[in-house]
Amino acid sequence: MTSVSSTPLVAGAAEAAPAAGGPRKPGALNRRGRIIGLAAVLPALVVVLGFMIYPVLFALFISFNNSNGRSFKWVGLDNYVRILTDPLVHGVFLTNLKFLISVPLVIFVSIIVSVLLFERVRGWKFFRFIYFLPNVLSAVVIGIMFKQIFGYYGVVNEIVAALGGERIQFFTTGNLAIAVIITALVWSGFGYQSLLLLSGLTSIDPAVFEAAALDGAGWWKRLWYITLPNIRRVLGFVFIINVLYTFTSLFGFIYVMTAGGPGYDTTTVDYLVFLKAFDTGNKGPGAALAVLLFLFIGLLTVLQNKVFRVSEED
Amino acid sequence: MTTTSATLNKKARWPIFIALLLLAASVIYPFFFLITSSLRPKLDYLENPLGLPGEWTFDNFIALWTRYGAGQGFMNSLFVVVTAVAIELVLATLAGYALAKYPVPGSKFITASFVSVMLIPSQVLILPIYLMLSQFRLVGDFSGLILVYVATGLPFSVFFLSVTFRSIPNEVLEAAKLDGAGFFRTLWSVVSPMGVAGIATLAVLQFLGKWNELLFAVILLPDNSKRLLTPALAQIGDKFLNEQPLVSAGLLLTASVPLLLLAVASQYIMRGLAVGVSR
Repeated sequence: MTSVSSTPLVAGAAEAAPAAGGPRKPGALNRRGRIIGLAAVLPALVVVLGFMIYPVLFALFISFNNSNGRSFKWVGLDNYVRILTDPLVHGVFLTNLKFLISVPLVIFVSIIVSVLLFERVRGWKFFRFIYFLPNVLSAVVIGIMFKQIFGYYGVVNEIVAALGGERIQFFTTGNLAIAVIITALVWSGFGYQSLLLLSGLTSIDPAVFEAAALDGAGWWKRLWYITLPNIRRVLGFVFIINVLYTFTSLFGFIYVMTAGGPGYDTTTVDYLVFLKAFDTGNKGPGAALAVLLFLFIGLLTVLQNKVFRVSEED
Repeated sequence: MTTTSATLNKKARWPIFIALLLLAASVIYPFFFLITSSLRPKLDYLENPLGLPGEWTFDNFIALWTRYGAGQGFMNSLFVVVTAVAIELVLATLAGYALAKYPVPGSKFITASFVSVMLIPSQVLILPIYLMLSQFRLVGDFSGLILVYVATGLPFSVFFLSVTFRSIPNEVLEAAKLDGAGFFRTLWSVVSPMGVAGIATLAVLQFLGKWNELLFAVILLPDNSKRLLTPALAQIGDKFLNEQPLVSAGLLLTASVPLLLLAVASQYIMRGLAVGVSR
């Protein structure tokens, strides 16, 4: 291949310099490059095809069958009909909707924290680090921690008892248990999300704030009319990841905190997929539910992309 | 931007500082509680759960490590996670470099499919993967779980590293080529050193994700002798919930590795999470 840098036309050198990025320009060695490139991608591609794409297709196949995992009997859309008309699934979906309360809560806290951190008060980097701590912990650790804190002899009940109140059974009532899990979600989630929002705030042109200050806009006015509108793209992103999270990532919390109970009162869609996959003889309906969950997530993501496009244009 | 913003007057800074401090305390307190309660006998804990220990002891950690399977779980986790991350990094480096700098046929399609499979939630995969692995007799075997961890991590890793390597100037690669370096030599002595920050970021993120993973670990390694730490902790927390000091020790042991990583590699973790936004 010819040496690229040996023939710069002095005047336009800066513009003509090959941009870093993109494949090399086509040449005599192109064929060899294609073969080497393909060979290098192949191992990763095979693993992903075999253990992600094939399983999804397999799940799709199972969802159209009655199956114990070994033999398959085609039943068409029966499993989907069963899932969509199952009152248990309806109830579980409603339970999942209750968990959505965590979304505005965690976003509210994150906005406050990010706006305060943005003021660069003393020690803001230290605070940022502390708030981020729960984010590296697993749902299992956070879940058991909160189960202990809200347990019958946990910290909360010790305080209640010390103040002369009745100890509260947080995990025998569905709604109270959900409230505890939501608290855990907010506690563990606000740090990362306020970092995201903070990076959005940092990218606002400071001149905008100065102009507004010159116009006599107070702090609150600036927050409402300048700061928040300027980070609406990040806000949209945070909103969507939270919604996705409530439908796909509560498994760990539910598994260690309530096991879906009492009854099915805290069972979420992702936990129900797990239960259906391993508790019943027929795997078909569970697979159908998993496929529906996947479709729902895909839909939300497409929606997210649409929303982002729109806000990028204006 | 300067370190202080001009948007607020000095007087307003104190309430903000105090609010942030209170919030930080609410994050720190559970950790403080875990540490103190894990270092005391159960009776001492029951006498005064909220106070400081009257008697300090390491017994909870020792019992947890030797008698409750946490030691075995810790070692199992370390083995599975490190192996999986290592294999994943090798495969992702190869693929990421090729996609960034080589004219791979169908590269747009390959990249697009990697990005779209990132969306697949593990709940969708768990049943078919369980059935597949049980056919190969790999359920209950470390290699099955390692394979699944490699596969589920690869889409993001390949995407992440191809973005990282794309910023390496082509001239550098041309120079290496003129010196007679082939694909592997260039990858090993030019590309990897230049992308080391990206690779380290990825390694830390993938380690954390796998260390904290529960669903696949519970289902693909059902035997107690092969249990990883996170599912072992879930089991201990379920069976011995009223043994607060013991469970606290388990929580700290499981959290110790991620917290240690955060302490030594926080800049990598923060960097990596920022990439999540731009995608």
